[in-house]
Amino acid sequence: MNCKDWEERIALSAGGDLSAESRAEVERHLAACAACRAFAQAVQDSLALLQSAHEEPIAAGHYTALRAAVLERLARERRGRRWAWVPVLAAGLAAAAVFVAVRPAQKPEVTVAELRLPQPPVLAPPALRPVVAPVHARRPKLRPAVATPQPPPEAEPLVVKLITDDPNVVIYWIPDRKGDAQ
Amino acid sequence: MNALANPDIMQPADDTEVLEAARAGDLRAFESLMRRHERLVLATALRLLGTMEDAQDASQEVFLRLYRNLGKLENSANLAGWLYRVTVNICHDLRRRRPEETAVDAAAEIEAPGADPQQAAAANERRRVLELSLRQLSGKQRAALVLRDLEGLSTEEVAAILGTSQATVRSQIFQARIKIKDFVERYFRRRV
Repeated sequence: MNCKDWEERIALSAGGDLSAESRAEVERHLAACAACRAFAQAVQDSLALLQSAHEEPIAAGHYTALRAAVLERLARERRGRRWAWVPVLAAGLAAAAVFVAVRPAQKPEVTVAELRLPQPPVLAPPALRPVVAPVHARRPKLRPAVATPQPPPEAEPLVVKLITDDPNVVIYWIPDRKGDAQ
Repeated sequence: MNALANPDIMQPADDTEVLEAARAGDLRAFESLMRRHERLVLATALRLLGTMEDAQDASQEVFLRLYRNLGKLENSANLAGWLYRVTVNICHDLRRRRPEETAVDAAAEIEAPGADPQQAAAANERRRVLELSLRQLSGKQRAALVLRDLEGLSTEEVAAILGTSQATVRSQIFQARIKIKDFVERYFRRRV
């Protein structure tokens, strides 16, 4: 076995990472090999140098800065949690306001236009029947003009009331959405 | 193997009472907990990352993670092992995100050793050799050497923290020690 083969065990032995038996073997070799003794000494010296540098105390200001930074971040997180309900409430209120503003009217007003038919010709005798047929004969199937209508919100119903000279005859005209008379 | 599963791992002080108070939301108790363990976290992070600025960032993250996980830590006996493990993981993540610093500002990080300028210069040089030596190592070698040779943990504890086997840790430590020896020899040979 040449000295290169001893390097691993010497390096481990320098830090106390070998069993007692392996360590004893290394010690026997070192007693007989000057090159490996120098190698082992160099490993131990370099480790000792690093350890002494590592043991230098870190300036207290670095610890103070660390604690302050951590506590500040924790305090900020706590403040954030304490007021976390505010944006939720604001969003809720905003949503409610938008709903109220844009909701459709529940009872659209019904517009009743009142038209008077033109007077019958002067030449016509008063006994003449009115231009419009009597109600009992030709009464159209009219819907009540003011009865709770259920139109679509965007189409406001229009009811046209036709008044004849005969006070007993009144005609209601309710055009539908397609324009067909009812 | 999980470091937290080993009840014998690193137990510098009994943190039971202060841990319970911190769990209950007492920030002063948490500050006390930080004081007890800040050297462990900051010094380890400094050796793993190389600059105080990065070590500060990593250490803040470690303690914030500790605060958020207070309820999950079963008992104070696991705390040091937990802190080492989280510190190593956070430093590993940070190193992947940030390129390694080239400047070594040794004097800014260690406490002033006194009025003796020779003493101060020697301390600065040791610190510089330490930092430059650690840069010769891979991330895994560096973590193993820092925990085993600088923090003084046992091979078993290091293996538990790094989540690897003792044989792997021994292999990493042996290679790291030889690299360190070679670097230190080269460094002082050039100086002479």
